[in-house]
Amino acid sequence: MSEFINMISTAYLPEFIIIVFVLINIFASLFFDTKFYKLSKWIALLGIVLAIGSTFYLQIEPEAYAFDGMFLSNIYTVFFKILILICGFFLILLSRNMIREKRDRAFEYFTVFLAGILFAMCTVSATDFVGLFVALEALGLSCYMLLSFTKGPDSKQLTFGYLVQGAVVSSMFLLGVSLIYGLCAQVNFDEISLYFANANVMQSQPQILLTFSLIMLACTFLFKLGLVPFSSWLPDTFKGASYPICAYISSIPVLACFGILAKLLMIFYHYTFTMKIVFAIIAVVTIVLGSLSAIRQENLKRLMAYSMSVQSGIMLLGLCVFSVYSLSGVLFYLFCYVFANIGAWAAIILLYNSAKLEYLDDLKGLWYHRPYYVLAFTVVLIALAGLAPTCGFVAKLYIFSAVARSGFVFLPFLMIALISSVIMIYAYWRIIRSMFRRVETDIAIDNKVISSKYILYFCSFATVFICFFADKLVRLCQLVAYYM
Amino acid sequence: MSFLSLIWLILSPVIVALILMLPNFPNHQVKIRRFAKWFAGLHFVYALLFLVFFDTSMFGMSYEKELTLFGMSWLKSLGISAKFGVDGIALLFVVLTTFVVLITLFMSKIHIRTKHKLYYSLVFLLEAAILGTLCAKDMFVFFVFWELSLIPLYFLISQWGNSEARRAAMRFIFASFVANMFLFFGMLILYYYNFAISNVLTANIETLNMDSTFYPLWFQVFVFVNFLIGFAMRVPFAFFHNWYPDIQSKSSAPVNILLSGFVFNTGVYGLIRFNIQVFPEIFKLFAPVLMIWGLVNIVYAGAQSIIQPEVKKMVSYAQTSTAGFVMLGLACLNTVGFNGAVFTAIASSVVYSSLFVVISCIEFRTKNTYITSLGGIGQVMPKCMYLALIVCFAAIGVPFLVMFTPKLLVLTGTMLSNLDQQLMVKIAAVIGLCAIAVSAGYIMYFFYKVFCSVLLEQWKKLKDLSPQETAVLSALSLVIIYLGINPMSIINVYQSVSSIILDILQV
Repeated sequence: MSEFINMISTAYLPEFIIIVFVLINIFASLFFDTKFYKLSKWIALLGIVLAIGSTFYLQIEPEAYAFDGMFLSNIYTVFFKILILICGFFLILLSRNMIREKRDRAFEYFTVFLAGILFAMCTVSATDFVGLFVALEALGLSCYMLLSFTKGPDSKQLTFGYLVQGAVVSSMFLLGVSLIYGLCAQVNFDEISLYFANANVMQSQPQILLTFSLIMLACTFLFKLGLVPFSSWLPDTFKGASYPICAYISSIPVLACFGILAKLLMIFYHYTFTMKIVFAIIAVVTIVLGSLSAIRQENLKRLMAYSMSVQSGIMLLGLCVFSVYSLSGVLFYLFCYVFANIGAWAAIILLYNSAKLEYLDDLKGLWYHRPYYVLAFTVVLIALAGLAPTCGFVAKLYIFSAVARSGFVFLPFLMIALISSVIMIYAYWRIIRSMFRRVETDIAIDNKVISSKYILYFCSFATVFICFFADKLVRLCQLVAYYM
Repeated sequence: MSFLSLIWLILSPVIVALILMLPNFPNHQVKIRRFAKWFAGLHFVYALLFLVFFDTSMFGMSYEKELTLFGMSWLKSLGISAKFGVDGIALLFVVLTTFVVLITLFMSKIHIRTKHKLYYSLVFLLEAAILGTLCAKDMFVFFVFWELSLIPLYFLISQWGNSEARRAAMRFIFASFVANMFLFFGMLILYYYNFAISNVLTANIETLNMDSTFYPLWFQVFVFVNFLIGFAMRVPFAFFHNWYPDIQSKSSAPVNILLSGFVFNTGVYGLIRFNIQVFPEIFKLFAPVLMIWGLVNIVYAGAQSIIQPEVKKMVSYAQTSTAGFVMLGLACLNTVGFNGAVFTAIASSVVYSSLFVVISCIEFRTKNTYITSLGGIGQVMPKCMYLALIVCFAAIGVPFLVMFTPKLLVLTGTMLSNLDQQLMVKIAAVIGLCAIAVSAGYIMYFFYKVFCSVLLEQWKKLKDLSPQETAVLSALSLVIIYLGINPMSIINVYQSVSSIILDILQV
C-alpha cells in the first residue's frame, strides 16, 4: 500500500487528483438536482487548482516512472502539465455562460472536460505507443463528446466532419504503430530509439516501410493540430461548436500533441532528415494557406480556427529543425500561445455573451462603447500576430532564430513563413480595424460582471508582462528542453 | 553628466502619452495642447543638452545606458539586452526628431479639431519609437522600435487624414510590414551567423560582424539585400517610394510635417549602421550599383515631381529626389561624400518639414492644395511669401542656406570618388549637378505659381500668417540660415564617427 502511495506521489499525483474529481463529479450528479448545477463548476475548479498545487510535489529529478515504466514524470512533462492545467482553469471559467444555458448537462460537461484534461496529461507522459494511443484516443473522444454540447440547426452536421476524420486518422495511427512494431518488435520509445540508433539496423531494414509508418503516425498529429492536409475540419467544426469548446480544442490537444510530437521526433532523430523537410513543407504550406484563408473570414470563430492552424504551423516549423535551442523556442512559444489564445477566446466569448457579436461587421464602433475591452483584445491579438510590445514578438524571434541557425536548407521556408506571417497580421488587423471604425448604430452591451472579462484583462496583462520579463522564462524553457 | 539619460529621453514621451490618455486628465483642448507643447519644448531642450555636452572627439558610442528590470537585462539568455547609446550621427537625428515634434505641435492647433487626447499621445508615442530606433544598441531592440513606430503612424494618418487616408495608410503599413520582414529575416541570419563565427550569442550592433571568408559571397550579398530592401522602403529610395507621396497627399498637415522630418532619419541611420558597418565588403562591391540607383532616384523622382498638380505630392517627390543624393554620397566611399550624405539627410528633413509648414498654412486658409488653383496668394500673404522664399531657396541649394553645403559635398565626393568605374563616376557627378538645376526649376515653378502669378478672385480675402505661424516659420528660417552659414557646427559632431566608418570601409 505504502509503495502504491509512494508511486502516486512521485509520478502521477495530478492525474490521480483529476481522476478523483472526475469521480466526485459523477457521484455528485447522482445526488444533486439541476438547481445545483454550479456545484459542478466548483468541483472542477477545485480539482484543477489542487492538481496544479500537487505538481510541486512530483519527483522530477531524477525522473520517476509508474506502471512498469509506461508513465513518465520529469521536468518536461510537468511543464506541459502545468500549462494544460492553467488552460483548463481558464476554460472552466470561460464555460460559465454555456453551462447556464444547459444546466441539466452541467455535471456531464465537466466530467468530460476533466477527463479530457486528464488524458491530455497522460499523452504527454506516455513512454510507449500503447499508452500513447490510449491517451490520444481518449483525448479525442472527450473532444467529440464536448462537441455535442452545441446548439443551432446545423452544428451537428458541421462538427460531424471532425468525428469522421478523427476516426480515420486514429486507424492510420494504429497502422503506423503496428508497422513500427513489425520492424523492431518494440513499443517502448526508448527501446525503439536504441534500435534505430544502431546504424546496421538502418541499412538492413526497408527504408520505405519506416517512412510510410512515420507518415501514418504523423497524420494523427497533423489532424489534431489542424495542419495541412488535415485542416479542413477546423473552420466548420469551430463554426458549429460552442465558444468554450472551440477554445478547448484550440488549446488542450495542441499542447498535448506538441508535447509528445517533440518526443517522437527525438526517437527517430537519426532518421529524421527527410521527415524534417516533410514537416517543414507541411508547416509552411499550412502557414501560407491558413493565413490566406484567414483574411477572407467574416466569422470570428472561423478566423480563430485559421489562426490556430497558422500558429501550429509556426510551432511545427520550429519543432522540425529539432535542436535544444529550437525545442526551447517551441516551449516558449507554447507558453505565450496559451495566454494569447485564451485571451482572444475570452474576448470573443465576452462579446458573444454580452452582445451576441459573432461577425467582424458586428464589432464596428466597439471602441466608442467599451474602450477597455477593445484595448485588452487588441493587446492579445497583437500577441497572436507576433508584434512588438507583447510576448508574441519574443516567441517569434526565438523560434525563427532557431530556424535560421539550423542551416541553409531551412532558409527558404523561413522566408516564406515570415512573409506570410504579414498576411496573418492583416487578418488580425481586420478585427482591430473594425472595432475602431466609427458607426452611428449603437451596440447593446449587457453590463453584467462576467468572469471572462477578468480573464481577458489578465491574459492581456500577462502577454505584456512575459515580454518584459522573458529572460526567466527563456531560461526555464532551455532547462526543460535540455532535460527532455 | 549623470542627469543625461537616454532612457529618460526615450521613455518620457511614453509616460506623457499615458498621462494624456488617463481618464482623469481634463478633456479640454487648450490644456492638452499647452501640456503637450510645454513637454515637447522641455524635451527638445533636454535633447539639446545631450548635444551640448557631447564629446565630439569620442570614437564610438556615448551616453551608454542599459534598461534593466529589477536588475535583469532583457533576454540576456539570448544575448539580447535593452542597451542604448548614441554616436554623433544618431545624436543629430535625435535632436532633429525632437525639434520636428516641437514644430509639429505648434502647427497642430489649427488643423487638429477632434480627438485631441489621442492625437497628442500618438505623436509622443511615435516620437518615443523613433528615438528608440536611433538610440538602440541592440539589433532586435532596434527592430522592435522600428516596427512600433508604424502603429502610431497608421493611426495618425488614418484618423486625421482625408477620406482616402484610411486605405492609403493600410497600404503603407502592410507594404512596410513586408519590407520589415525582409529586414527581420536578415537580422535573424546575421544574429546566428555572427554567433557561428565569434561563438558569442549577441545582437549588439557594435560587435556584429558577418564579413568573413567563412561564408559564400552570394549568401552575404543575399543578407545585405534583405537589409537594403528594409531600409530603402523607409527612406524612401526610388522604386520603393510610392507610399510616400501617397501618404503625404492624404494625411493632414501636421502629420505631413512629422513624416517629412522623420522618414529620412531612421532609414539612413539604419543604412549606415547595418549595410555599411556590418557589411563593408559587400557595400564596396555594391557601390557602383548604389551610385546608379541614387542617380536614377534623383532623376526619376525629380521628373515625377515636375508633373504633379498637387503641392503635397510635388514636395514629397522632391524630397524623395533628395534621397538620391544621400545614396550618391554614401556610394562614393570617401569622407567628403559620406559627410555630405549624412548632412543631406539632416538638411532635407529641416527644409522639407519647413516647406510642409508653409503648405499647411496655405492649406488651412484655402482648403486647396492644387498648384494651378492657388494663384498669386503672395499679394495677400506677404509674410508667408517671404518666409517661403527662404525655404524654397534652401530647397534648391542656394549658397549660405542649409542645403548648399551637403549637395556641394556630395557632388565633390562623387567627383573625387576612387571607384573603378571612373567614367561612370564623372558622368554621375555631372548628372547630379544638372539635377540640381532641374530641382531649382520645379521648386521655383511651385513658388511662382502659388505666390506670384495673377491673384484669383476667391483668394482676395485671405489673411496673412498669425503671429504663432510667423514665429514657427521664422525659427525654421533662422535654423536654415544658421546651418547654411555655419555648416561645420553639424559636421564636427559626426566627423569622428565618419572617420571610423571609413576606416571600416578601408578606403
